[in-house]
Amino acid sequence: MSRPSKLTPLKTIGHPTARIDAVERVTGKATYTGDVHLPGMLYARVLRSPHAHARIRQIDASKALALAGVKFVLTHENCSVVWGAGSISGGRQYVDDIKKITRHKRYLFNNPVRFFGEPVAAVAATNRHLAEEAVRLINVDYEVLPFVLDQEAALRPESVKIWPEGNLSPTAKNEMEPEVYRRGNVEEGFRTADFVFEDRYTTTYVHNAQMEPRLCVAGWEGDKLTLYTPTQGTSNCRHDMARDLGIPDEKVRVICKYMGGGFGNKNQNQDADLIAAVLAKETGAPVKLELSRKEDFIGVHGRWPTTQYYKVGVSRDGVLQALQLRGYSGMGPYRKNTGGIGGIELYQCPNVESVTYPVYTNRAVSGNYRAPEFPQGFFGIESMMDDVAYKMKMDPVEFVLKNMTRKSDDEVPYTNYTLEECIRRGAEAFEWKKRWHPPGADPGPIKRGVGMAFMALRSPTGQSSAVIRLDSNGRYTVFVGVTDIGAGAKTTMALIAAEALGVPLSNIEIVWGDTDRCPYSVGESGSRTTDMTGYAVIEAAHDLKRQIAAKGLPKGDNVLIASASPNPTSEGKVRKAFGAHFVEVEVDTELGRVRVLKYLAVQDSGRILNPLTATSQVKGGATQGIGMALHEDLLYDRQTGQPLTTGYYGTRIMTHLDAPEIEVIFIESDDGYGPFGAKCIGEAGIVHAVAAVGNAVFNAIGRRMKDLPITRDKILGALV
Amino acid sequence: MVNVTLRVNGETRSASVPPETTLLRLLRDQFNLTGSKLGCDVGDCGACTVIVDGQPVNSCLMLVGQVEGREVLTIEGLANADHLYPLQKLFEHFGSLQCGFCGPGVIMSAKALLDENPDPSTEEIRDALGGNLCRCTGYTKMIEAIKGASCILRGEEAPLVKSA
Repeated sequence: MSRPSKLTPLKTIGHPTARIDAVERVTGKATYTGDVHLPGMLYARVLRSPHAHARIRQIDASKALALAGVKFVLTHENCSVVWGAGSISGGRQYVDDIKKITRHKRYLFNNPVRFFGEPVAAVAATNRHLAEEAVRLINVDYEVLPFVLDQEAALRPESVKIWPEGNLSPTAKNEMEPEVYRRGNVEEGFRTADFVFEDRYTTTYVHNAQMEPRLCVAGWEGDKLTLYTPTQGTSNCRHDMARDLGIPDEKVRVICKYMGGGFGNKNQNQDADLIAAVLAKETGAPVKLELSRKEDFIGVHGRWPTTQYYKVGVSRDGVLQALQLRGYSGMGPYRKNTGGIGGIELYQCPNVESVTYPVYTNRAVSGNYRAPEFPQGFFGIESMMDDVAYKMKMDPVEFVLKNMTRKSDDEVPYTNYTLEECIRRGAEAFEWKKRWHPPGADPGPIKRGVGMAFMALRSPTGQSSAVIRLDSNGRYTVFVGVTDIGAGAKTTMALIAAEALGVPLSNIEIVWGDTDRCPYSVGESGSRTTDMTGYAVIEAAHDLKRQIAAKGLPKGDNVLIASASPNPTSEGKVRKAFGAHFVEVEVDTELGRVRVLKYLAVQDSGRILNPLTATSQVKGGATQGIGMALHEDLLYDRQTGQPLTTGYYGTRIMTHLDAPEIEVIFIESDDGYGPFGAKCIGEAGIVHAVAAVGNAVFNAIGRRMKDLPITRDKILGALV
Repeated sequence: MVNVTLRVNGETRSASVPPETTLLRLLRDQFNLTGSKLGCDVGDCGACTVIVDGQPVNSCLMLVGQVEGREVLTIEGLANADHLYPLQKLFEHFGSLQCGFCGPGVIMSAKALLDENPDPSTEEIRDALGGNLCRCTGYTKMIEAIKGASCILRGEEAPLVKSA
């Protein structure tokens, strides 16, 4: 890692700092949800649909209930709880008003069932074995229905209708229309362009595959629910639970001390949380529900698969004149998130049109996975543009520099802009000009090639809260509603507090992951915690310093308590992080195998608060991107609608043996917003990684791989 | 139910459990040693790795019937009250873990490797840890930590994080 930095150095921030909770993590003492055991706890299991689409004629749970130790069986017949975050018009996950009007609601148990693995019943019993046995004894009579797996096919008139209104998922206004963005006039742009190119790209369903499968422990004391669950957002999880169960927010306590990753699929509440809470209510005992790895793959969401049609108009000198996308996103049978396809905003073009269809299919439900709409969209558009550059006989880097976003003309300006610097510095450090050769020029049989891709990713400011308490011993206790999904939020909050207060890091204690003890936090999603909750910590520190100035330091049993709930804006400007990835691969043209040899990530995420954890975010994100580019896919059997590659063995995430060394260069900048100028980083590593790998494969073999993942069979097929 | 007696982290432990109980469930549910994690329960991910008679094993694949009288070392047995084992110290120092869920298994696999091979190459480390999946890190910071720990265990000075 290197850091050419022009910023004024700070005392605590900006130095490689081990996590404040690293010892808990390396000794096995960190308490994850699965480690929670409550006295008298029951164990739950879920019976899941063995069909992609079926109507339930009858459920007979009498044999299960007759088993000694089985306490309760939930089905659609005795449970009508709606999982509000499980399906929402427009995929606008946080908006209660839209949840109210959502037509295609998702109940905890639905009839008909619309995908393989959809919950049909849930059992609570005195031990795991009994719960498992009871699930097997539930008899379900299904009327099997036709199904559709492909997002484009699902919109054809002959397709089975998953919902009565059809398979186009409604917008936030409940209108059956695609998501549309227009700027200028694309038809006019294509008319005036010297060259017009068209192509089709597809991406697959990639599971988040976080190491800790979804699970929870729910218990009631009177009318108050305590829920231990690995959630990326304790505050929004609490609100979701309260709304779905029809109780006030303060009657729900959500606790998440440590969690084993999530990458977007542990945000908000999960149906498992509601199932456990309802079973606990019915039985009067705490309930633990653990999803198996297979259940996690089919019952908790992954990235939406897409089909993307691009049309690009270019002038003779290689300047974009018109840019058009028609995209289809496979959402599964419930709309959990937007289904957007990001990327065309990366380019400066006067005439743009993007029409995206979020489509219902009978696959596992899609949702947010690290930079939800970007890696798939960036793969499409940056492959397309790499191809246009090739056809225009231009160096891909020169083409990008000519056409990338600069927010000129009439557009809303950026808070600051370092994209060009990221690309130029990357090209230099990578020795792009020396390594690049005409596509396919390496004689092989093991061919080398290089590729690049760039990104600009939203880094918004926004609302969050923090409380700081100072006692007479000089201990600063910072209360923040973060959960530390793995990015190091606790440590980051402690660093920010120490810097803002001007005290050593060792004087700071963090209280986190408990809605009864901590104020609202935005949730560790959308790369927002450092920006938003970190900013609140600074404001609370300022409040505390003012109090100290006015009242002096606390003595004896006295304490000072400061708080802040800021909601800063970027004053009408667009705040983005920037980056560029440069990759060298080798492709074995006899075996089809792709290996990443060299990987350089240049990243501007504003000021880097902790280089140790920041580099980890970029490396981890890029590694996931390589996996998405080369291996990962939840395959389905087209005859039966059953998933074939659930779990790690089938879906082939990156292992120790695949992972390359990833070099990270931070270009640090301070745009005057965010905590000490920090911008987003958690999602930044993955968004353009997939495209960069794909472009490197093209440069190696001279064949454009348009369908993810780029597996050996596809490479060999392309070379025939 | 079967009765089982074994040595865990140097202590003799006994339990009476259903025969389908795995070593992982025995450790977690009966002995309250929850450091070993359940990531997949089918031997794919390695989060449950413990050392049995010197060999790293996926404890989710070993049944209680196979552990009678054997010597098991878990993550809880690696550090003493105020002293981290060098691998743990270096994993902390290099920020080798993120969510940490894979960590106990990774560290136990690495411990078994270093017990057998005190100076492993990068390739040997990758090979030995090929069955320990991690979704957060990209793995390379673990390799730095394992190499550093191998230096300390050999009595040499470990290369530490360069200050940027």
